Amino acid sequence: MDSTAPIPERVWSVSEVNGAIRKLIEGSVDTLWVRGEVGNWKRYPSGHCYFSVKDDQSELRCVMFARDAAALPTDPDDGMEVRVFGNLTLYEKKGAYQMSVRRLESEGAEGLWRIAFEKLRSQLETEGLLDPARKQPLPKHPAVVGIVTSTTGAALRDIISVLSRRAPWVRVLVRGTRVQGEGAANEIAEAINDLVATGEPEVIIVGRGGGSIEDLWAFNEEPVARAISGSTIPIVSAVGHEIDVTISDLIADLRAPTPSAAAEEVVPDGVGIREGLSQMPVELAKGLQGMFQRRRTMIEHVLSRLGLGIDRRIQPVQQMLDHDFGRLQIGLRGILDLRRQRLMGVEGKLDALSPLATMKRGYSVARTGDGQILRSVRDFVKGDRFMLRVSDGEVIAETTELRGENNERNRE
Amino acid sequence: MSETENSPNKLDGSKVESPSLEERLRRLEEILSRLEQDDVALEEALELFEEGVSHVRDAERVLAQTELRVQELLGDGDVQDMELD
Repeated sequence: MDSTAPIPERVWSVSEVNGAIRKLIEGSVDTLWVRGEVGNWKRYPSGHCYFSVKDDQSELRCVMFARDAAALPTDPDDGMEVRVFGNLTLYEKKGAYQMSVRRLESEGAEGLWRIAFEKLRSQLETEGLLDPARKQPLPKHPAVVGIVTSTTGAALRDIISVLSRRAPWVRVLVRGTRVQGEGAANEIAEAINDLVATGEPEVIIVGRGGGSIEDLWAFNEEPVARAISGSTIPIVSAVGHEIDVTISDLIADLRAPTPSAAAEEVVPDGVGIREGLSQMPVELAKGLQGMFQRRRTMIEHVLSRLGLGIDRRIQPVQQMLDHDFGRLQIGLRGILDLRRQRLMGVEGKLDALSPLATMKRGYSVARTGDGQILRSVRDFVKGDRFMLRVSDGEVIAETTELRGENNERNRE
Repeated sequence: MSETENSPNKLDGSKVESPSLEERLRRLEEILSRLEQDDVALEEALELFEEGVSHVRDAERVLAQTELRVQELLGDGDVQDMELD
């Protein structure tokens, strides 16, 4: 350095100096990554964030403007190890140089995303919204299925294709929405609310195909979580691939690993239902047959206890039974011809039955000790014992006198 | 008289709801288990049987539909059929 060099005449303004320095810095230092610890993080209402990154000796002032800061899943905590990407510049008003940060990442894997995820998850858990008891059961056979996803995405095509194959009788109501980017979370939430408000779907699939953690991020945001937990209609969440678990998955009534899998979950397989239905008439007939069988068994039981050959005077009861069976035949006609034929076989047996009711009205049957029925005065022998069957048991009696009606006696 | 007074909604053209597939299939299960009970009366059993057969018939008609109907709910609340490539 030549100390004898002449001192320049020109006097600069402060602004001129700062402007020149700014150009110098901006023009000579490329964009760069800087690693350090976050300090004094402050986010202003404007969305701009001011902070510093430091190591054990130095500190670098940083600014992150709202547009870039909006992409952060959550604000970093002071003391967190981060790397920032951006360019050096000068804040002319203060003459302070600073880094204009365009990206900020945690040094740990997924860092900020993981922190944001955990923050919301624990918040929802505290509110009891992740309680398994809150999960609504899915309908087994929905007639209307709602879908919230992008109308241009592969997820929608996958879902529709599975529904067409398994349950083409359902009606699908799609509420299209953006699923990534600024504001997507609010759009998804609104779409869910809109579908719920129609009251039409019996189950709703919310989701999208695979992507990076940033792409899937909307499904980790609070508006989506709130819309899902507020839904009165069961919701199946299907975000990304099997390995991606989102807040939406946790809070939904069911998590499906993929959109296709969600479609499989919400509708039954048509083949299975059709088979079940085709068996149904047989099952119904079996049920009816079982009912007849139980009646017949009951009647046969009574018959076996009382023996055959009861007097035909039991007309009223018999008529009642005949009447019942008449109606039975009318009801079955045209439905079960085969069954009717069987019933007519039973009818013959029924001619001789139901003496119990008659007995209850005061009739009884007299029999000898070995079961012979005593029909006439002539069947009794004075001094012999006989059994008298009444409605609720038997009486052992003895013949003390024989009094036939006149014509009987005359024949003797 | 009272029926028309009680259902003013019918005037706006909304259709009378028939049971959903879900309801029909559930009812069929109920009918089957009712038929298995000892206290089911003759007349009731016959009615259940006929009701069951009609549910089977209607459910089969629903399932016979072979083309999925896809509609889109638009932002203004309108619903329109959706074309998918």
